[in-house]
Amino acid sequence: MIICRCEEVTLEDIRDTFHTYKCSAREVKLRTRAGMGYCGGRTCRPAVDAVLEEVTGEKPGDDLPLKVQPPVRPVSLSVLGGDGDHA
Amino acid sequence: MRNRRIEEHPVLGSLRNRKAVSFTFDGKTCEGREGDTIASALLAHGIRQLRVHEESGRPRGIYCNIGHCFECRVTVDGKAGVRACMTEIREGMAVESGKVLPSPLNSSVFEADEMPRTYAEFAGKQKGDNKKEAPDA
Amino acid sequence: MRDVVIIGAGPAGLSAAIACREWDLSVLIIDEFPKPGGRLLGQLHQEPDGEWWNGIKEAGKLLNHATELGADIRCGVSAHHIEKADNGFKVHTDAGVFDAEQLLIATGAAESAAPIPGWTLPGVMSIGAAQVMTNVHRVRVGERGIVVGVNVLSAAIARELDLAGTELHSMVLPAKNPVTKHYGDPGEVMDGLARIAHMAPSRILRFGSILARAGWVRRLAVRLYPKRGVKVWGIPVHIRKAALKINGRDRVESVTVCNIDPAGKPIEGSERTIPVDFVCIAGGLYPLAELAAVAGCPFRYIEELGGHVPVHNERMETPIDGLYVAGNITGIESAKVAAAQGRLAGLSIVRHRAKDKAGLGQRIDEAMRHVTAIREQATIQFHPEVDKGRSKMENIFKEYRKAT
Ligand SMILES: Cc1cc2nc3c(=O)[nH]c(=O)nc-3n(C[C@H](O)[C@H](O)[C@H](O)COP(=O)(O)OP(=O)(O)OC[C@H]3O[C@@H](n4cnc5c(N)ncnc54)[C@H](O)[C@@H]3O)c2cc1C
Ligand code: FES
Repeated sequence: MIICRCEEVTLEDIRDTFHTYKCSAREVKLRTRAGMGYCGGRTCRPAVDAVLEEVTGEKPGDDLPLKVQPPVRPVSLSVLGGDGDHA
Repeated sequence: MRNRRIEEHPVLGSLRNRKAVSFTFDGKTCEGREGDTIASALLAHGIRQLRVHEESGRPRGIYCNIGHCFECRVTVDGKAGVRACMTEIREGMAVESGKVLPSPLNSSVFEADEMPRTYAEFAGKQKGDNKKEAPDA
Repeated sequence: MRDVVIIGAGPAGLSAAIACREWDLSVLIIDEFPKPGGRLLGQLHQEPDGEWWNGIKEAGKLLNHATELGADIRCGVSAHHIEKADNGFKVHTDAGVFDAEQLLIATGAAESAAPIPGWTLPGVMSIGAAQVMTNVHRVRVGERGIVVGVNVLSAAIARELDLAGTELHSMVLPAKNPVTKHYGDPGEVMDGLARIAHMAPSRILRFGSILARAGWVRRLAVRLYPKRGVKVWGIPVHIRKAALKINGRDRVESVTVCNIDPAGKPIEGSERTIPVDFVCIAGGLYPLAELAAVAGCPFRYIEELGGHVPVHNERMETPIDGLYVAGNITGIESAKVAAAQGRLAGLSIVRHRAKDKAGLGQRIDEAMRHVTAIREQATIQFHPEVDKGRSKMENIFKEYRKAT
């Protein structure tokens, strides 16, 4: 069953990765890319966290998981390079 | 197919005469109403599929309808990655559905079950810690 | 440089803009949705007195007021980054960079997913997607569908679909998996139903609600739950049935549903395939707070507020000078609470600029009391212990201040 839609990461992928590498929740995410696709985890972050809590036993911390990085929306390079409106 | 437009609503009232706006989706002409998003205008025609997953090719349509999931991204007048649920139609707009992309990881270098899932794995495999030799190496 | 930039033109952002304009601050509101009003636009509930809460009308009132006062509102503009600058903030958007002396983030909530196999097929959408498609865009989401997930929001939206003439076969729970372990548990769902019982003309739900505090009664209600479901506004609601998977090749064709025991375990041999052309998935709501995170605001996980929330005080100030939050980003509540918080945030922003203006302190106190009063009267409550969540946050803010 797919958990992370953007990267098509399944429940089984997450379980297998944890069991193969015996690693932290954070590392499972980095390895599988669950929650790290196009949408930035907006759709699946709570779901991925719930799976990771069950699989790794780690409770959600106070910080936003994997500390959100800008940009919080995918942007094209032309937008990033643009001068923008300084009105 | 039954008209999917909700012309009359017991509380919200009638849609009255919202102006028609025409645009194209994958080359076919479609008509929507002023104020429609690309997603709502297409759904009114019964069109749900807006793209396929870039790697697996599995069909996708809207999921959240409010800009969060990016499942509805299409190409609008040549600009890729535009959210169909957040973009209102304009007269003459050309909308293209999302297609499978040639993926750099999808080459014949790796067997399907050995496909790297992360950049680290990819880099590792390139360095040669995978047993199978790349055919062109 | 503007005095204030507000991200989000929902009830919180618009109300804040009105307050700021009343005191003559220059205000820019940006919102990525094509129409202003936020999630208020899709809402359509009947209040206990029978009056309709029509979100489009309510949003229109706020919008008119804000525009009359001269607030600059730009839709279709998406913010993706915030930088702290020497005397304010730089808001990076797809329409350029906007400078603000003070910044209010009022980005509302997002839906959490309740994944079940097949949920990526076209025709599967979140329950909120169906609300917006039906009430805002006025397009039927399909011929006949099923709602997976039974909670306050999905019950309200199921009724909205019914009002617009969209046929719902039923509402069922998602099959239990590591993500849906709560949404798929009949006992926990019964607890949730107790909270919407005042909207549901049904004996068993009231029975559940009045006595839900006694665990054994709740368990009884779960055990004796009628096989045919309980009809709420004519829609069969099942808490002893679960959706196992969604089937179809290029789009939704059917859903496999089975009976479940009181603990949510599927009963073998009870599977049934129900032909539908759409499925609405209802997980729940969580605060959409990523922009506060990139702006450097600290966070706390508070379940009663819906998840990770930016640290803030009861005046809507964050520990970052000049940065405010209001509305569902601070915790999941109804639009009326969001609007009251928005007004309060607006007044706090004004005070920051004009400390000497007479009467502001008193107005802020009034606005704070107003938020509490609206919260107490709320007909829709997303978490029964939201008060507890709010006081937790108040203490966290005080401790945070002491520590820094
Ligand atoms: C799908 C959904 C359905 C809901 N239905 C109901 C309901 O039926 N009844 C009810 O009482 N409550 C409902 N709610 C709860 C709702 O959040 C509140 O009622 C209320 O609308 C919150 O007001 P707000 O101003 O905090 O946020 P919102 O009304 O959500 O407004 C936030 C605005 O910020 C914008 N925004 C977000 N991120 C960005 C960005 N990066 N850049 C630019 N703009 C951005 C959004 O487009 C949005 O318009 C729903 C919430 C959701 C998510
Ligand atoms: S459907 Fe989710 S972003 Fe458009």
